[in-house]
Amino acid sequence: MNPAPSNDNPFAGDNSGIQQRETAARWALRVGSYIVVIITLAIMLHIFVKGAPVVFRSEWPFVNTQFLTELPATLHVIEDQEGHHIETDVNGADAVKKKLGDDFRSEKTISYSGGGILGPIVGTALLVIVSVGVALFLGVACAIYLSEYAKHGKFLEMVRLAILNLAGVPSVVFGLFGLGAFVLTAPTFVDVPAERSVFSIPLGFTTLSFEGWDTCVLSGGFTLAFVILPVIITASEQCLQAVPQGFRETSMALGATRWQTIRYSVLPFATPGILTSSILGIARAAGETAPIMFTAALAFKDKLPWQKDLPPLPADASIFAHWEQSVSRFLGIFTESVQALPYHIYTLAAKIPQNEYAERAQYGSVFVFLVLVAALAASSVLLRKRLRAKYRW
Amino acid sequence: MSADPTAQSTPPPVVQVRDMDFCYGASQALFDISLKVKYHRVTALIGPSGCGKSTLLRCINRMNDRVPSARVTKGEVLVKGKNIHDADVDLTQLRKQVGMVFQKSNPFPKSIYENVAYGLRIHGEKNKSVLDEAVERSLTHAALWEELKDRLHANALALSGGQQQRLCIARAIATVPDVLLMDEPCSALDPISTLKIEELMHQLAHEFTVVIVTHNMQQAVRVSDYTAFLHLGKLIEFAPTEELFTNPREKLTEAYLRGTFS
Repeated sequence: MNPAPSNDNPFAGDNSGIQQRETAARWALRVGSYIVVIITLAIMLHIFVKGAPVVFRSEWPFVNTQFLTELPATLHVIEDQEGHHIETDVNGADAVKKKLGDDFRSEKTISYSGGGILGPIVGTALLVIVSVGVALFLGVACAIYLSEYAKHGKFLEMVRLAILNLAGVPSVVFGLFGLGAFVLTAPTFVDVPAERSVFSIPLGFTTLSFEGWDTCVLSGGFTLAFVILPVIITASEQCLQAVPQGFRETSMALGATRWQTIRYSVLPFATPGILTSSILGIARAAGETAPIMFTAALAFKDKLPWQKDLPPLPADASIFAHWEQSVSRFLGIFTESVQALPYHIYTLAAKIPQNEYAERAQYGSVFVFLVLVAALAASSVLLRKRLRAKYRW
Repeated sequence: MSADPTAQSTPPPVVQVRDMDFCYGASQALFDISLKVKYHRVTALIGPSGCGKSTLLRCINRMNDRVPSARVTKGEVLVKGKNIHDADVDLTQLRKQVGMVFQKSNPFPKSIYENVAYGLRIHGEKNKSVLDEAVERSLTHAALWEELKDRLHANALALSGGQQQRLCIARAIATVPDVLLMDEPCSALDPISTLKIEELMHQLAHEFTVVIVTHNMQQAVRVSDYTAFLHLGKLIEFAPTEELFTNPREKLTEAYLRGTFS
């Protein structure tokens, strides 16, 4: 006999509060997410509104080329008797004053706020290239060794823990480490060792002296490399582990050596992930300030790294001498100190008097920096997509 | 008739296991195994899960070396008359001559051609015509050439499960091994693909000595000439397949074949 149909709802919820807790949890999570999104948007929007007009303009060529192609300079602001302000650089200041004559009332100078930010852009680019080159080589080598060769056990776990801890070291400590290790004691070849050399090994034709590389792109790049190493090692190891074990087994079963297996059946499939993580490492390296303060960056420099001052050559100098000077200038991209974007932003924000004339350089630098980092992140996503399509399993 | 007396007698066993004990660390997985694998015959290893049949198979090409702490503690394994644990045995050469096909078909995410050519390439073969010839020969042996000859450069992952497993067989035989080890090659395949691979195995036995691990007793009957039954790490019975299945000597074998224990 069928039970009599009733009007009661057989699926009515009970009133034990489960539904209320569900709703409360959902809203708490939702509000948290919204707060993050709103703060991010507020920061981005603020920088965009203030920074974009510095870099972009409304008429052809739409980009403020001066800001992107000139070195930072001191801004001169001259006020006339009627209260008009004229902004000019150091060369223009005298001409303006002469023209104004008796109309001249006062002159203000604001450091670093004139010109452009080519120096910091170039410096950051060089630092990033050196640091990523070093970190990729060391990091991928380390990840391959740890995940493919090293014996599993306590020691390996300790090494992994040490690498994770390295990621937690404050970046200023990396800066001081870089100062001690690369600026003051790294080995270099010299004819005569400097007095501060820790020790030197005469090699006959030259001397290997542990006297450091001085503050330069190389020192800064190596220091930054150590900052991003933990990220690259950890991410690379994960990418290697994500390659199916079956590939390794099959390759070994076909008689491949371990290195052949890694080279042909593991690395090609781990590369997309490794590259992605390394590009995120680039963004990190580009943004660090403390590690380069002692090792590579200057608050101000009026030359690009390859425009080194060299004694003028006599008229009858040999081609070899010219060539030597060119090489020396070129090597300046490694051996000269540079300006860097994050440090430049710090200088503009904290080391000069704040007024409306400084804002242009401040927001402009931050905007350019953000665009560069966003471009790197976007390219990492694109690269991963393309490589994934090629090597998927 | 040849004057060589060995030509008339049966060829010596290609793989010979003698009184072998095998351990994973402290736990012993195989006990006193002795086995002779006949030249150009299919030998099946059967037994319940965990009986050590895969471990025994992996002893033949020393794939167990990949497992830390796993080792042969007694006895020896001879392949083509040579103890494969001798110090002068090069693992890459051993594995070139003892090919292996795994349970899970696992082609590399490369082209069909590159998959088959992989073994030859890592052994230093660069000559395009040699590679071309080997790819065609191996795919033909694996009954894939007609299906795939027009798309050799397509990604191997685009193939069906059964085709992928046959591609793995082609890849394993491209280096012309003497012995082909197969570790439950059909357990992940549908019945039709399984049938194709079983047919293939009869063909392969003309060229290679095949050792196959299977959990499927009907499959052992269909494909093998000899069958070894393992239980709890011990070789219980080893006999011609027909004999073992119709007239087992051991009680344990009989019980297993009847399905009275699992």
